[in-house]
Amino acid sequence: MTTYRLQVNGKVHAVDQDADTPLLYVLRNDLELNGAKFGCGLGQCGSCTVLLDGKPAMSCMVPVSVVGQRPVRTVEGLGNATTPGVLQQAFIDEQAAQCGYCIAGMLMQATALLEKTPAPTDAQIRAHMSPNLCRCGTHMRILRAVRRAANTLAAKGTP
Amino acid sequence: MTIDTGRRAFLAGGGALTLSFAMPATAFAAPGELPKSLDKSPWLDAWIRIEANERITVFTGKAELGQGIKTALLQVVADELRLAPGRLQLVTADTAHTPDEGITAGSNSMKDSGTALRHAAGQVRLRLGELAATRLGAPVGSLALKDGAFSAGGRRVTFGQLVTGQELHLRATPTPAPPPPGPRTAIGKSVPRVDIPAKVTGGAAYVQDLRLPQMVHARIVRPPSQAARLIAVDVAAIERLPGVLKVVQDGRFLAVIAEGEYRAVKAATALARATRWETPASLPVHPDVNAFIRAQPAEALPILARGAAGQAGRRFAARYTRPFQLHASIGPSCAVAQLVDGRYTVWTHAQGVFPLRTALAELIAVNEDTIRCIHVEGSGCYGHNGADDVAADAILLARALPGRPVRVQWMREEEHAWEPFGAAMVVQVAATLDSTGRIADWQHDVFTPPHNTRPGKAGNLLAATHLARPFAPPVAKPAPQPEGSGDRNAIPYYVLPNARVVHHFQPKPVLRSSALRGLGAYCNVFAIESFMDELARAANSDPVAFRLRHLDDPRALDVVKLAAAKFGWDGYRRPARRGRGFAFARYKNLASYCAIAVEVEVARETGLVRITRAVSAVDCGEIVSPDGVRNQIEGGIIQSASWTLLEQVRFDASRVLTVDWASYPILRFAQAPEQIDVHLIDRPGQPFLGTGEAAQGPAAAAIANAVFDACGLRMRDLPLDRARVRKA
Amino acid sequence: MVQVQRKRHTGWWLLLAAVIVASGIAFAIMWRPALAPQSTQPSFDTTRIGRGANLARLGMCASCHTPDLSRPFAGGKPMNTPFGTVHSTNITPDTTTGIGAWSEAAFTRAMREGVARDGHLLYPAFPYNHYVRMTDGDIQDLYAYFMTRPAIVAPARENRMTFPFGFRPLVAFWNLLYLDDAPWQPVAGQSAEWNRGAYLADAVAHCAACHTPRTLLGGPDLKKQLGGGEADDWYAPALNEHSPSPLPWTRDQLQAYLRTGVAHDHAMAAGPMQDVVTHLAQADERDVAALAAWTHSQLAKAPPRATPAQQAGPLPKPANDDPDLQRMTLGYAVYANSCARCHDAGRDASSGTALPLQKAIALYDPDPRDLIHITLDGITPPDGEPSRFMPAFRTILTDEQTGALAAYLRKYGANQPVWPGLDKAVRKASKE
Repeated sequence: MTTYRLQVNGKVHAVDQDADTPLLYVLRNDLELNGAKFGCGLGQCGSCTVLLDGKPAMSCMVPVSVVGQRPVRTVEGLGNATTPGVLQQAFIDEQAAQCGYCIAGMLMQATALLEKTPAPTDAQIRAHMSPNLCRCGTHMRILRAVRRAANTLAAKGTP
Repeated sequence: MTIDTGRRAFLAGGGALTLSFAMPATAFAAPGELPKSLDKSPWLDAWIRIEANERITVFTGKAELGQGIKTALLQVVADELRLAPGRLQLVTADTAHTPDEGITAGSNSMKDSGTALRHAAGQVRLRLGELAATRLGAPVGSLALKDGAFSAGGRRVTFGQLVTGQELHLRATPTPAPPPPGPRTAIGKSVPRVDIPAKVTGGAAYVQDLRLPQMVHARIVRPPSQAARLIAVDVAAIERLPGVLKVVQDGRFLAVIAEGEYRAVKAATALARATRWETPASLPVHPDVNAFIRAQPAEALPILARGAAGQAGRRFAARYTRPFQLHASIGPSCAVAQLVDGRYTVWTHAQGVFPLRTALAELIAVNEDTIRCIHVEGSGCYGHNGADDVAADAILLARALPGRPVRVQWMREEEHAWEPFGAAMVVQVAATLDSTGRIADWQHDVFTPPHNTRPGKAGNLLAATHLARPFAPPVAKPAPQPEGSGDRNAIPYYVLPNARVVHHFQPKPVLRSSALRGLGAYCNVFAIESFMDELARAANSDPVAFRLRHLDDPRALDVVKLAAAKFGWDGYRRPARRGRGFAFARYKNLASYCAIAVEVEVARETGLVRITRAVSAVDCGEIVSPDGVRNQIEGGIIQSASWTLLEQVRFDASRVLTVDWASYPILRFAQAPEQIDVHLIDRPGQPFLGTGEAAQGPAAAAIANAVFDACGLRMRDLPLDRARVRKA
Repeated sequence: MVQVQRKRHTGWWLLLAAVIVASGIAFAIMWRPALAPQSTQPSFDTTRIGRGANLARLGMCASCHTPDLSRPFAGGKPMNTPFGTVHSTNITPDTTTGIGAWSEAAFTRAMREGVARDGHLLYPAFPYNHYVRMTDGDIQDLYAYFMTRPAIVAPARENRMTFPFGFRPLVAFWNLLYLDDAPWQPVAGQSAEWNRGAYLADAVAHCAACHTPRTLLGGPDLKKQLGGGEADDWYAPALNEHSPSPLPWTRDQLQAYLRTGVAHDHAMAAGPMQDVVTHLAQADERDVAALAAWTHSQLAKAPPRATPAQQAGPLPKPANDDPDLQRMTLGYAVYANSCARCHDAGRDASSGTALPLQKAIALYDPDPRDLIHITLDGITPPDGEPSRFMPAFRTILTDEQTGALAAYLRKYGANQPVWPGLDKAVRKASKE
């Protein structure tokens, strides 16, 4: 066990963990964050997606020991139930969820896209979201929610 | 379309007798009887409780599976009480607190729980009205109802003020209350789902999110196959690993319990490596699904024998198949169990907490009342997945480590390999067309193993079959029509004066199979609707016109016509490499009506089938939440597209091979349809009909029919995957 | 005086004459006539079309001509070459944007000489310098196949060539050097299967196009046949006596690899090779067996050698006296925490067949590109088809971590000398 200092959603946390423990378990168990989910632990489904240094990463494949100083962002960092972020509000407005288990991963994957490509085409949204699986078939609403958020951000003039 | 407005005047003037008349013949409670769930739990305050602080709690025995039922049921009650849904709290499936409504399945939640709650809430309203009339000294008919309070003559009394004791401890009576006065507050509107905000902001929402004090983590080491024999295992070495509290072995049931979740994962991997199995080649190897299924013994159960066979005309026959398919829930199953002072608590996402409790009690040989099963949401289960099994794992381990909550999380490979599969099916259809191109007779034979092996009995829990003294799975029995199991929707909804349907039930499964969304309906409708297409073409008839010709139910005719119109069926011109397909079914022949028209683009050389447009028309009776219905139908179409274009369980002589998303691909964004439109027909006053399973069968056939239209390939074996489209 | 002047004038005239003659020769070399478009579609018999379908798989046509799975052969794939970015063209039978108006003669000329119907020269990104050796019958079969595909409208995309390579006629000079149109000859004394494999490898599957190094002018270096080349910034390993494989390939392994992309416990197809095996999986089994037979005979030239691959087992910690201990320690930590879970003794009960890394050919390559690409981008199945999978670590590991991992694996996994330019290669790959 080693003490790792992780920057998560802007705050630094000290956690005692084994070097090979995936970040997913650290987020969920040590930091009690519910957003990133265990879907496969194999890097195949994206339910565990977080942003690592601004880029989407499957936290089930990130050993806590490689994170270092790089900032980690999870869905909790986008906003909360009283003040949801733009993307979160878009998902609520589109009612873009059925069981909802994949949604936190979708939100982080989409965040990475909109921060890098504020005006994505529909084809770009589809291609970018492809690593994330949804089993309930909420794809159309998820795409609409991302499109909605992109439009909102564009109207706000947010770069 | 709404029922004619004269109804309201008619009802307001009349009493109970008039109301019974207005309920259609297909109402789910005969006059003089309580609706089904109320029958089992007739006390009003089992369903609705009002406290002095105005807190109103609604209880349902059904579970939220992600289909939006929590919100929809609140809408039903809110509407009866003329309240905003936000004023209500909902408690779902808990053996200690809620009515027993069996299993949340079969698209019955609105029909059973929704109807029961509407009935109960209506009678609660009447009772409160009587109390208010007394309190305010005004006649009942003069009371105004708003925001949880009655008022008359300038005076006002709230629900909370009226209920000070046992006022609602009344048995429900069969006669439903008249509809409440004033405009509707909740039904027929799309209310934002109450569970979504937490799900998009990282709130605790799933059983996987439960964190209890002193909770420990467990992982199971499963045999390589159901027939595998345990030769040796070195438990001692594993017990010494960091964090490990206990290694449990009972026959072939092996598990590690540890502090620290990933330590449990690593210990389980080490335990798997420290175990030697003999894995016999016990699975039959056949070239295809048809050979596999036809090799199993079957009992022929006729479910329809109408008219006479052997009519004159042109005869056609075809065979359709469906492989084993997976629920493949995106979140592998999870449960937490704890043993304290001889009492067990199990937090589970199983669809039926009461039947689960019965099975668990048998498993560990205790009285049922020492076990409490509380439903907590899991990821979409789509039927009988690993949820019950993991609850069994958890209770066994809670027993092994009393006092501490034990959390068992299935791994991805475990869920893929060990969940009860959607059963493989072979359907043979034959029909005769008379000289006018009408169907003169019809024969449908469906061969399939069990579609329902849900617990009730311990032998249907996976761990139970691995113990040193194992439980044998009970012999599966087919559910009778009209619900059916493998034969669900095997009887066509068309007007067929001569028709025979036989369910060849295979009681001895080779691979464990159970309920997957729609049960037999998915493949039976795929077969019937593909065959209708083949017959239509043989009769030189437009596929939509052919179906209209053979339907007489006006609601069926309406959905078919609406879907066709919205698709632009009549004026359709086929672009290069594209084609259109149509399908219709009424789920179980008594639930929701669904018609779907689809356009696909087929690339033969790569095998890629792309859905460019899917247009659906749905009649689900009185609509509680329009958006909820749309969500379920869109989801049903996409999930069906995934099953239909991609999915099959693969196995060799010794084991299941499809153990993760790489080996069992499902639809990704790149292949999702370009566009889906869902058109709803509202039928106020008609019974609520669930929509979770209405779209799967029609979507499959519409896709296959569109593929044929696009490139002349008639594909009868599911899935229509890329390899098959290339080879054909 | 007059004599000298006449001599100077003669000199200028001679020069002019030489220039004119040279231009004439150059023109003759560079110019090709247009062939008349055909307006009616001939019909083709189904056996021919079937053979053509098989040849199209073996020839890997879709690799370049089908970037969009929903539009087969419509072209448009950008290919980065040292001379600029070339886009593949539409080879569906659309008459305006595809080859619908091409006669069989025009098609044959394109396949053998790299000349389009209207006479413009094709860039040798299209491997006509291999297809030139296809038999007449095979070219006819391919023509039958392509002319019976659904027509798709897809205009050619603009190439972006580095000056002066935008001037297509210059390709004629490349052809002078590298277009060898001597017909393919079987080798006496070899089996029919071997010769079939040799023909397919050279004339159809064009293995050498990736597996033979190229000269500065972008042509095959014939002195180093199958000595290792590249594709899309991946190193395509040598298939001859210089094969980097730490364990000798067996014929069965090679055949399984070519058909499925996996040779159990030996190799896994990644990068551009994934597409090759996807194509071969759809081709005639006997032809793939022939390819395996011939390729194996080339690989068999590699002398046996001792490598860590012969001893399986967990990879060791770095030695205490390692001169690069800090980096090796980091690399070992990355390996132990990120890779070992799957690559050490493999994953149980899963579709992955993660290779023990001592056996990974990429560690023995002369340069680290393949290892870096695999680490950063993983291995993903083709859309919607069941297949093997390795996750991508691009957004998980920093450049420093990736470099350290590669250095550690090179030394402690393969016991091979340090890769020069490792860090530069990591930085380049991680910027893509």
